[in-house]
Amino acid sequence: MQTHVTEVGSDFDPRAKLVAVMCLSSLAVVFQRPLPLALILILAVLSARYFRSDAVQAARRLRAFLWIFAAMAFVQSLFTAGGAPLLSVCGISLLSTLGLERAGSIVLRFLVIIVSASIMATSSPREIVQGLYQWRVPYELAFMVAVAVRFLPLLRDEAHDALTAIQLRGLKLESIPLRQRLQIYSYLLMPMIASVLGKARELAVAVEMRGFRAYDRRTSHRTLRMRARDWGVVSAAVLVSVGVLGVFMHM
Amino acid sequence: MTVMTVIDLRNVVYQYPDEKRPVLGGIDLCVSGTGLTALVGPNGSGKTTLGKMMAGILKPDSGSVRINGRDASEMSLGEIGQQVGYLFQEPDRQLFAPTVQEELAFVSRVRGAAEEDIAGRVGNMLDRFHLSHLRERFPFSLSRGEKQRLVLAAILIQCPRFLILDEPTTALDVRRKAELAENLSDLDSEGVGMLVISHDHEFATRRASRVIELRGGAVHADTRY
Repeated sequence: MQTHVTEVGSDFDPRAKLVAVMCLSSLAVVFQRPLPLALILILAVLSARYFRSDAVQAARRLRAFLWIFAAMAFVQSLFTAGGAPLLSVCGISLLSTLGLERAGSIVLRFLVIIVSASIMATSSPREIVQGLYQWRVPYELAFMVAVAVRFLPLLRDEAHDALTAIQLRGLKLESIPLRQRLQIYSYLLMPMIASVLGKARELAVAVEMRGFRAYDRRTSHRTLRMRARDWGVVSAAVLVSVGVLGVFMHM
Repeated sequence: MTVMTVIDLRNVVYQYPDEKRPVLGGIDLCVSGTGLTALVGPNGSGKTTLGKMMAGILKPDSGSVRINGRDASEMSLGEIGQQVGYLFQEPDRQLFAPTVQEELAFVSRVRGAAEEDIAGRVGNMLDRFHLSHLRERFPFSLSRGEKQRLVLAAILIQCPRFLILDEPTTALDVRRKAELAENLSDLDSEGVGMLVISHDHEFATRRASRVIELRGGAVHADTRY
């Protein structure tokens, strides 16, 4: 079968983006203090702008989870001893400068991960699968990653629908005690798991019917090619990461 | 005394975020809580959107939806659910419990009803919807028709006075359709008001006392019998 090499237009190779995202995410995990994390966030935002990713939209979609970030930051600040106390009750420090710093670091780390991950959304799932496959990642694994990415928004919609449906049974969630409310949330898992299993079964049948894994060797109609500027992105991402690591490790 | 549910829509406009034109363009409609109202129209005419608007699932961009005189945007879904039941097109999204019996009981239990009372009501619903032999079964393993009956029973056990059914005949064979029609007739005679959204013109209009036809997000015809 003839292999057709397609230019990806003005877009970058997804592998170049993947390297950039991995570098940014790794830096966010390595550093603990707010200053380097703030710098990494600036780098992530600049990279997102360069790749024309809508990072603001990605962050907006996650606003429903903001309370989880806030709760994690609060718990972190609460259980961190040290630093000057900022808020104390009966001699017990509830908030300290060090706790606040750790909470800030957590928020910054999440933001870096969200903003850098939004860069991958600028490539189509098909391109990501092809990129991973050309990196010798087994096609089955690459395909699974692409399917997971594609189905995540559906899962979010289904969770929302299930929450709507359970309230329309006449449950006023806002006036139910927390313990019972958590029990109700556990009920929401049932339709979501059933839906995921159903979709997995249907998808498995559909791909088998199309001859998935029928042959050992795969050929691709569309093949990605790393160009000079893709290598430029990879080099810049690695060099900047090494530079940031070097600077802050010696400070 | 039976309290009649009235849903009143005034100049309701709604546009989905990714669409260029509003799906509902200034709907004025009052649906009273008795009899069966059929909502028909071609694909994309806004039937399901209008149904979701009436159940408070969607909020209008402009205009107002009032349920029994109260602005729906100021009511929680739980409050609306105690007055208006909504049967989604896809029953799987409305099943939550590990057994059929539990599916019917858990909301009443959370709302603090007495176990004796719950058992009585669950028994009645199981008999009424021919589900008694399935009481210990896992809801997701039921057939589509059985799931739909179970969801309908789970909604009705909370005694809403008005019911919105979105495409209730989808994937039902002739026999199941006849059973559903019988259930709806029983509800009608009990004074439960209903809005049936359906492509199945014959099913929706046969028992209807009012037929509303939507086209292009506007009321094209509103006929009372």
